[in-house]
Amino acid sequence: MQMWLPHSAKKAFVRAFLAALFVWCAGAAYARASATPVIAVASDLQFAIVDVAEAFRKKTGSAVRLSFGSSGNFARQLRQGAPFELFLSADETYIDDLARDGVMRDPGRLYAIGRLALFVPKGSPLVSDSTLDDLAAALSDGRLKKFAIANPEHAPYGRRAEEALRHRGVWDAISGRLVLGENVSQAAQFATSGNVQAAILSYAHVLSPKIATLGSFALIPETWHRPIRQRMALTKTAGLVAEAFYTFAQTPAARAIFRAHGFALPDEATQ
Amino acid sequence: MRGLIVTLHDDTPIPLAVDFTCAPGQMIALVGPSGSGKSTILRSIAGLYRPGRAHVRVDAEVWQDTASGTHVPTWQRRVGLVPQSYALFPHLTARANVEAALGDRDTAAAAKRADELLALVNLHGLENRRPAELSGGQQQRVAVARALAREPAVLLLDEPFSAVDKLTRGRLYQELAGMRARLAMPIVLVTHDLDEALILADSMCLLQRGRILQQGRPLDLVHRPSTLEAARLVGQRNIFPARVIGHDTTQSMTLLEWRERRLTAHHQPQWLAGTDVSWLVPPSRVLLHRRDRPSRGEAENPVTGTITSHVALGDTTISTVQLEGAEGRALTFHAPRHVAERNAIAVGVSVGLSILREAIHIMPAGTPMRK
Amino acid sequence: MDWVALTLSLKLALMTVLVLLPLGIVAGRWLAYRQFPGKAWVEAAVALPLVLPPTVLGYYLLVVFGAASPLGQLWQSMVGRQLVFSFEGLLIASVIFNIPFAIQPVQRSFETIPPEVREAAACCGMTPWQSLRRVELPLAWPGVLTAMVLSFAHTLGEFGIVLMVGGSIPGETRTIAISIYDRVQAFDDVSAAQMSAFLLALSLVAVALAFGFSRRIGRQFG
Repeated sequence: MQMWLPHSAKKAFVRAFLAALFVWCAGAAYARASATPVIAVASDLQFAIVDVAEAFRKKTGSAVRLSFGSSGNFARQLRQGAPFELFLSADETYIDDLARDGVMRDPGRLYAIGRLALFVPKGSPLVSDSTLDDLAAALSDGRLKKFAIANPEHAPYGRRAEEALRHRGVWDAISGRLVLGENVSQAAQFATSGNVQAAILSYAHVLSPKIATLGSFALIPETWHRPIRQRMALTKTAGLVAEAFYTFAQTPAARAIFRAHGFALPDEATQ
Repeated sequence: MRGLIVTLHDDTPIPLAVDFTCAPGQMIALVGPSGSGKSTILRSIAGLYRPGRAHVRVDAEVWQDTASGTHVPTWQRRVGLVPQSYALFPHLTARANVEAALGDRDTAAAAKRADELLALVNLHGLENRRPAELSGGQQQRVAVARALAREPAVLLLDEPFSAVDKLTRGRLYQELAGMRARLAMPIVLVTHDLDEALILADSMCLLQRGRILQQGRPLDLVHRPSTLEAARLVGQRNIFPARVIGHDTTQSMTLLEWRERRLTAHHQPQWLAGTDVSWLVPPSRVLLHRRDRPSRGEAENPVTGTITSHVALGDTTISTVQLEGAEGRALTFHAPRHVAERNAIAVGVSVGLSILREAIHIMPAGTPMRK
Repeated sequence: MDWVALTLSLKLALMTVLVLLPLGIVAGRWLAYRQFPGKAWVEAAVALPLVLPPTVLGYYLLVVFGAASPLGQLWQSMVGRQLVFSFEGLLIASVIFNIPFAIQPVQRSFETIPPEVREAAACCGMTPWQSLRRVELPLAWPGVLTAMVLSFAHTLGEFGIVLMVGGSIPGETRTIAISIYDRVQAFDDVSAAQMSAFLLALSLVAVALAFGFSRRIGRQFG
C-alpha cells in the first residue's frame, strides 16, 4: 500500500474531507423531520395502522412516523419523556394510568376492540380449533413442544393469552413450553418461523395476507379473557398533525379499516 | 566558567551522586560497568530524566536547577544526543532525519544544510535511504549528523560505538577526533570500554552505582587509581596488601613489606610508616628475567616463582606466577610473544621477575581480596 | 431498503468516529507512555464495554440521563427535549460503548514506538505537539485507522443500546439495525433481507480493512 503521497496533497485532501464531513453532520443534525409527529403504536396494529396512515395522508396530505412495540414498553418510555405525540395502546389501563399521572393530555378514546386467535403454522401436527381441545391433547401426547405468545409482562395480547390459557386449564402444562415475544408481532414472527407448533396472536395478525397464507387459525372465545379494549390518547407535546390523526382515527373511514383488519368497533355509547 | 557544569544527586529509584565539568572543545568520558548510571546521567543532562537534586548549566544558561525550580524542557535545550540505539526516525530518510533537527527553515535551505552535515560524516550519496536500508555504522553517523544539526551547546554520546564492528569503529574514532577540533562544544562520551576512553577523552569519570569514584586524566586513572575499587574497575589485576615500612628521601623511595619481602616503590610520602596499604603494578611493568642469565642483584624488586597459567593473545602473552614461599594471589605479567618463546615459558616453569619501582602505586588498604 | 435508517446509522457512525478520534489519540497515547499506580484499573475500565451487555449500559444511561435524573432534567431545560430517545442520546451511548475500540488499537500502536525515538524527537527541538504530528502519528497511524474503522463498523451494528434508549423513532433513533428488526416484525422480508445483506457486506469490508491496518502496527518500517 502506497504509504506517502506528497505531503501537501495529503493534507489538502484530509482537510477537505473533514470539512465536508463536518458540514454534513452538522446540517443533518439540525434538519430533522421535526414537523412529522411520531406515533407510538401497539404491535397488533402493525398492518391496520399502516392503512389508516396512508388514508390519512391521502386525505390531508400530512405524513406521520410510526413506531411499533408493546404497549407496556411504550408506557414506560412515555414516562421517561419519549417524544411520541400520540399513543395507540392495546390496553386501556396503560392509558388510564398515564392520564392519571399527567403524562397524557386527557383520558383519550377507545378506538377498537381486539380479539385473540389461535394460529397453527403449516406443517404443524396441531389443528386449530376454537375450543383448544387439540391443544390440550397435544400437550399430553407430546406433539406440542413450543408455543408462542407475546410477553404477558408488558404486552396486552400476551396477558390476555395467558388469561385464556388459564381459563381453559392448560396454563400450568403449557407454561414450561412458552416462547415469549417482545410484543405480539415478534410472537407472530416466532409462529411463522417453523420453530413453534402453535401460537396465540392477535386476530389482526392472522388475518393479514402475509400471515394468513402461512397457516390456519381459530378465534378464541371472547369470554375466556378480559376484553381487549384498545384506547388511544394524545400526549402533552402533541401538535396539530397528531391531533388531526387522532380525530381521523375515529372517523368512519378509519373505523372501516380497523373493521377490515379484524377489530370490533366500540359503540358510540361505550366511549 | 564556560562549558558544561553538572551536579546530580538522588537516592531512588536510581542512586546518583555526580559532580563534574567539561570545558568547550573537551571530551569527558563516563566509564563504568552496566548499571552504573552513565546513561541516566546523559539523559539528565538532556532533560529526559529528573533526579531529586540537580543542577545543569551550559555556558550561561541554566537548564536545570531544583533549588530554584528551573527546568528547561528538552526541546528547548540545545542538546545533541546520540543514543545507544541511534533512535533514528524509521519513517524518514537520512536527510529528513537530519532536517528534523533543523527547526523551521525553508525546505530548500534545510535540505542543503542536511546534505552538508551528512557529507561531514561521510554519508554523501546515502541521503535518500531510510534507516532500515543503512548499516549500523551508517545509522550511527546519521544520528551524529542529526545531533550536530541542532547546533548543540553540548554533545552527548551514549556508547555510540558499541554496536559497530572494529574496523568501522577505528574509522569512527578518527572522524570523531577530527571533528572535535572543529566543534567548540563540550562532549560527554559514555562508554564501558576503557580503551575507547583512553583513546578519545581528555578527562574521565569512573562510575560505580551512580557515584564517581575518581575523576581525572584517563591515564592517571588507569595507572594511579586512588582506591581499591577504582583499581578493580579499571581492570588492574596485580593488587596486593602490604605495609609501609618507611621512606628514603635521599633515594626517593618508599619501602613496603609484602609477604615477607621488601619492595621498593617510587617515593609516595603521603603514606605514614606502619600503615597498612594496598599496592598495584600493571602487568606490563612486571619484567621477565632472561632465563639463561642469572639475575643480577641490581634488578628492581626481584622475585621468583612458578608459572601457573600462560596464554598467548596475539603478540602478547599473559602469565600468572605463584611466588616462591608465599600463599596468596598470583602475580600477573605480560611478555611479548617472542620473548616468552625464547625463554620457553610454560606452565610449571620457574621464572624470575622484576617489579618496576616506578610502576608500584600505593592505595588505601581495602577489604581482604578474594584469592 | 430504509434509506432514512441507513443515513441515520451512517451519520451516527461518522459522528461517533469524529468524537472518538481525538479522544482515542489522546487517551491511547497517554496510556501507552505512562506508568502509574492503578493503571491496570484504568485499562480495565476502558475494556469494560467489550464485556458488558448493551442492556447494562443502556440501563445505566437511562438512570443517569433519563427524565427523572438531574442530568436529564438539566438537558431538558437547556435543549427542550429529552436526551434519551434522541439522536444526541444515541451518540453519547455510542461514544461510551466504542471507547475500547477507539483506544486499544491506538494504545497498542503508540506502544510500539521506542521511547528513545520519542526522546530523540524532543532532542531535535520538537515540541510535544510537533513530535506527535511529525514522528508519532506517522508511526502510529495503523492503530489510529484500525480504531476508527472498528468504531465505525461497531456503531453501525449497535442494537441493544439503541433498543433500550432509542425508542425506534424514524429519522431520529431508528438505526438500520433497528429497522431490520422492525421490518422482520412487520413481515417485510424483502426489506429486511436487503438491509441485512448490505450491513453484512459493509461490516466485512470494515473488518478486513481493520485487520489489514492492524498487521502493519509497528511493522511497517522493518
